[in-house]
Amino acid sequence: MVTRREILKVAGGAMVLVATKSAYAADATGVTDDKIKIGILGDLTGHAAHWGTGNLAGGTLAFEEINAAGGINGRKLEWISVDSESSAPKGIAGFKRLVDQEKVFAIFGPTSSAVGVPLLKTMSSSSVPIFIPTFSSPLITNPPVKNIFRSGTLNDADQGRIIADYVASISKKHSVAIMRQSDEYGKNGATNVGNRLKEIGNIKISEEQFNASDTDFTSQLLRIRESDADIMVVYGYPAPSAIVMRQAKQLGLPVQIVGSTATASRTYAATVGKEAVGTRSMTTTRYLPEGDSPEIVKFRKAFEARFPELARQTRPEATDQLAYHGAKTLIEGLRRAGRDLNREGLIKALEGLKDFETGIAEPTTFGPDRREGNRSGFVLEIKEDLSRTVLPKAYSAI
Amino acid sequence: MVSTFIQLLLSGAIAGSVYALLAIGLVLIHNGTGVVNFGFGDQLMVGVYILVFAQQFLGLALPPAILVAVIVSGLLGLAIQSLVMMPLRNRPVLIPIVATIAIGAALREGVRAFMGPNPWPVPFLLSTSPYRIGGISIVPSDLAILGTAIVIMACLYVFFEFTRYGQAILAACANPTGALIVGIPAGTTTTGIWVLSSMLAAIAGIVIAPLTTLTPDIGLIAIKGFAAAVLGGFASLPGAVVGGILLGIIEALAGYYISSAMKDIVSYAILIGVIVLLPSGLFNRVSVRKV
Repeated sequence: MVTRREILKVAGGAMVLVATKSAYAADATGVTDDKIKIGILGDLTGHAAHWGTGNLAGGTLAFEEINAAGGINGRKLEWISVDSESSAPKGIAGFKRLVDQEKVFAIFGPTSSAVGVPLLKTMSSSSVPIFIPTFSSPLITNPPVKNIFRSGTLNDADQGRIIADYVASISKKHSVAIMRQSDEYGKNGATNVGNRLKEIGNIKISEEQFNASDTDFTSQLLRIRESDADIMVVYGYPAPSAIVMRQAKQLGLPVQIVGSTATASRTYAATVGKEAVGTRSMTTTRYLPEGDSPEIVKFRKAFEARFPELARQTRPEATDQLAYHGAKTLIEGLRRAGRDLNREGLIKALEGLKDFETGIAEPTTFGPDRREGNRSGFVLEIKEDLSRTVLPKAYSAI
Repeated sequence: MVSTFIQLLLSGAIAGSVYALLAIGLVLIHNGTGVVNFGFGDQLMVGVYILVFAQQFLGLALPPAILVAVIVSGLLGLAIQSLVMMPLRNRPVLIPIVATIAIGAALREGVRAFMGPNPWPVPFLLSTSPYRIGGISIVPSDLAILGTAIVIMACLYVFFEFTRYGQAILAACANPTGALIVGIPAGTTTTGIWVLSSMLAAIAGIVIAPLTTLTPDIGLIAIKGFAAAVLGGFASLPGAVVGGILLGIIEALAGYYISSAMKDIVSYAILIGVIVLLPSGLFNRVSVRKV
């Protein structure tokens, strides 16, 4: 028998859903006759500034281009940038400022897991569409949240799965060593790789860990040498990973080194030196920022002309590329949402994207229950002259 | 296996010499001014970025770029002393210490804004190709770090023990009023210490950065320098070197023979043990103040 309390509970839930839906449907905050106001939230200072500055640069470039081309359905984009300073409290304050004071229509960012994950509850309880082009925590899209979308990047769970599939396919000794950073980034990555390897079966797994600020990895590398592994997966930030790769070569470890996407940056090989030759890294896209496809060349030239101070730092990098790709995908969502723009319309339009191509990063597919735009990755290799090449095979996490 | 043990000792000593270089700079400032400089790691970082800037954007060869980096770093030390530390000289000691934290953060974020957050490659001073002797890998560029730590320690030791200016600095630090009475100006000696330590930070950074890679956050490794300085007594230059090398070797041995996950726990447990049993560190005599 259905109790009165249960009826009230169901009715209450339905009312909340209807209210939420109508709040989305009617909500055109930040939209005027001739403008759409976007908030850009990212870490412009602090340890995660690499991603935040990329988010701002890539977003700015795409937004300026669409404005120069006449805007979206008769409206120009207007944007305001807030620095989350690589700090979760600053990120939450910045998000609230964009929503409550600046009254933006949608938000582009945040840009790091350290800010995005603590911000998740605040983001999901708002009605603001949020578009994330960079960071990789799987918690952001699994389970899917109505107003949060991510494109381009490969989340850590998918990345771990893909790395495991790849190393299992090349390991002749069926023995893989995982050298991982001791923090959440390394722990989650190594867990995902290890779990998938266990699923595949018949593979010996050994694991060593290090701190991000360590300068010597001899003890871990000697233990790996004794493990008889022929593959070493390095899951850590670029700086310690660079030292690990260099010292592994100097100690003569007979292993194929495979790094996470953190080691797939443009300057990485130069940072490691000649010991980088032959090492491989996971990468989220087949398109390298230094590549020669027409779309990439056009993007790189436009980026270098618009941001000469960043070009001086050997950018655009993958983060700039993913942000530009993300911004163009968001723009496509706004275009498809039509002239009668509101938040529900944008969410519906984004959900309708299927294999949306920009030629800058992997195609984006969303759906009613899918908020992760890209679920595939590639492997890149450092060549003798320290240039990079992407191996042809695509790996899917689906 | 003997070769594994020797490899661990060698690698530990080299990692330890990184800590030692940092510890020397910290001890120098502490000995000379009484201030614990929490911005030392960031001064080190600035020195290396000046080198990179001189090479990449001014087109200088490595030797003149190093010279520019060391000189400009010395000027940075002069600016810190003149603009911040001198005005704070009569404030409680906590105030200048907090100021060093603020200076460090300002330098770090300033460099991040100007040079970007991405890593920059820094040229190695010696070859990175290893020599293999009896199963042991010896890398010349790593030995450069160990050698630099020992040479700097020796130079500073001679300077403080056997030169009048070095003795004057120590006297001014121990008793500023007494030193002034005998004609040693405390302000000048303090300025000299800041300039010297800032130049030392640049040299340490130029040797270390090729190994660790250069980002605005490279200065965070100074935390290990603090540990090494404490182990060595925080007032002793030989103690700083021995403390650093000892810490590096303990880490390497613990990481291999116990577990890489336990490496830091074991190392810092030993550090705490030393502090408890020998509060003045391994190399520092307990100072007795007569009243």
